[in-house]
Amino acid sequence: MKTLLPHRNAIALSYCAFLLLVLLLGGCAPKSYVVLIPSPDGSVGEVVVIGQKGEQVLTKAGQAGALDGSALQVEDKQIKQDFGDTMAALPKIPVRFLLYFKTGTTLTAESESLIPKIVADAQTRPAVDISVIGHTDTLYTDPYNNQLALKRATKVSELLTQKGLKANSITIESHGKRNLLVPTPDNTWEPRNRRVEVSIR
Amino acid sequence: MLRIVLMVYVFLAGQVMANELPIGYVKSVTGEASITTGEQKIKAEVGSPIHQGSVLQTGKKSSMGVTFKDETVISFGADTLFTVDEYLYSPAQGKLKFSSKLAKGSLNYVSGVIEKLKPDAVSVGTPSGIIGVRGTQFLLKVEE
Repeated sequence: MKTLLPHRNAIALSYCAFLLLVLLLGGCAPKSYVVLIPSPDGSVGEVVVIGQKGEQVLTKAGQAGALDGSALQVEDKQIKQDFGDTMAALPKIPVRFLLYFKTGTTLTAESESLIPKIVADAQTRPAVDISVIGHTDTLYTDPYNNQLALKRATKVSELLTQKGLKANSITIESHGKRNLLVPTPDNTWEPRNRRVEVSIR
Repeated sequence: MLRIVLMVYVFLAGQVMANELPIGYVKSVTGEASITTGEQKIKAEVGSPIHQGSVLQTGKKSSMGVTFKDETVISFGADTLFTVDEYLYSPAQGKLKFSSKLAKGSLNYVSGVIEKLKPDAVSVGTPSGIIGVRGTQFLLKVEE
């Protein structure tokens, strides 16, 4: 009896120690945090966390931060466990096509050949929504360019529809000469600014 | 008199635009998810519209993915409550802002054109801190 007691105590003690360890490890898993990961294009941006304990800038892929602004280390395994389902729900990343014009509303041959490709891409997306945005260079007046950019966007939208595009929503916009791709002074002839942007989401 | 009528018209046009033009759409749903805009709560389905002020919610073992007009893409995990506080996307007028709030749950955020054009205009609030987004993809979890 006397010899058994310490043995039992030892078992009980080690069991307690084990429980404590599990509790401690479990307690280490962070409840609220942010993790920087590479962007779909492979680049890594930045995230700033501003909270009660200060400010932290995350700059490296896999770097984590607590939401009070303090630093934090999170295991890859934990991140997968916390975000696996969330990441699986991420929709396909949108794509943007640029179509250029010779003059007026006539597309360049190269841009015209992109139309079927745009339609094909759009059809791979659930409930696809599309913006068609017309632009001009800075030759002539604002009202003239607003009209011209709208005509360009309308033309592209018609071409897409003719090629069989079916979308949940298409919006046609005109930015006239207010949103230049290549910055130029006013009254400047610039083919790269005579364009329609098609955003496929 | 004509001027007053015109002003009312412009005001109404502004109202209609703010209320009716969607800023994004739901692209994926598993399980239970909803979108509440003003008084109206709808079951989230692929193609459901999202507006400024919309509250996006998912239930247990559920998820939802959305894309916004500026090509921001966000997905949400289970038991999530997310609010679009302010969304402005008019590049030609220089009006650019996307501020949102994650009250609970998890998200995967891929920033879009608003961030590219105006890096300080994109943020996600949480109960304990604010996330500033600078051209990137990140994961965020808020547990009560």
